[in-house]
Amino acid sequence: MSDGDYDYLIKFLALGDSGVGKTSFLYQYTDGKFNSKFITTVGIDFREKRVVYKSRDADGSSGRGQKIHMQLWDTAGQERFRSLTTAFFRDAMGFLLLFDLTNEQSFLNVRNWMSQLQIHAYCENPDIVLCGNKCDLSDQRAVREEEARELAEKYGVPYFETSAANGDNVNQAVDVLLDLIMKRMERCVDKSWIPDGTVRTNGPLHSDLSENSEGNKCAC
Amino acid sequence: MVDQPLWEQIGFSFVQHYYKMFDSDRTQLGSIYIDQSCLTWEGQQFEGKRAIVEKLSSLPFAKIAHSITTQDHQPTPDYCILSMVIGQLKVDDDPIMGFHQSFILKNIQDAWVCTNDMFRLAIHNFV
Repeated sequence: MSDGDYDYLIKFLALGDSGVGKTSFLYQYTDGKFNSKFITTVGIDFREKRVVYKSRDADGSSGRGQKIHMQLWDTAGQERFRSLTTAFFRDAMGFLLLFDLTNEQSFLNVRNWMSQLQIHAYCENPDIVLCGNKCDLSDQRAVREEEARELAEKYGVPYFETSAANGDNVNQAVDVLLDLIMKRMERCVDKSWIPDGTVRTNGPLHSDLSENSEGNKCAC
Repeated sequence: MVDQPLWEQIGFSFVQHYYKMFDSDRTQLGSIYIDQSCLTWEGQQFEGKRAIVEKLSSLPFAKIAHSITTQDHQPTPDYCILSMVIGQLKVDDDPIMGFHQSFILKNIQDAWVCTNDMFRLAIHNFV
């Protein structure tokens, strides 16, 4: 597979308090198979995965699938020191906002993450999917599903109860986020609003990303 | 090293002591601060031994290991020691990150204490 063999490059960022399971979530999504590349000076780690996206048009017409090269950005844990660099919010196209269903504080902090996103993302209403993670630990649950759904509704974002441990809803959450982004792009004839480098059509990857990509598997 | 100036020896042993304690049991770090000490941790201000120890103890990780790359020490005109450290750290299973830390050490009643402490991860924004 050649590196430039895709239609869109899309960058997602996983956010949320320390310990909510961001890394495990991304690991689960990529089936544990990813090229993890850590950029020390930026404090991000990213995994890549290729998928084929078929738009679900109401009229049933299905064009050819679009090859999506996904970059899933993960922090290096710097949020434990309270130093998340917000610069990379700007470069991300969609956000997976995670909290831990067994940790109420991580749920309360969702509001802070949302306001951070509204300030630092490329626009005021970026595409976000809220995930209550660790739903497998039902005996330790500290956040009720209804209150999480209420909050998600308030922000107008989809909500999933996920488990990075057993894979529950992990793919679904990412698929919905991808769908939101593709829909947004379809709505925009003029794509000039898209932040530079976030979505590239038929473009080559950065040279620093182009090595070791043979391991990527098409997940269609 | 015999020909090492005293302030450099003190700075060196402080740095060694500090990170050894930080990595083994950071709740014990109160012994090196005083009530007038200041900590700036990733831009957040903490004043006084108690607030500082509380902050350091509550950092949400179980294991941390520091590795010092370089350190520099200087005497100040008021008989304190200024120390700067560049190093790397590893927290639990996270990737290794760089950090910078600076200290001012002061001799009070024959004991060296840390009056000022500034910490930053060496992470740079990118656009």
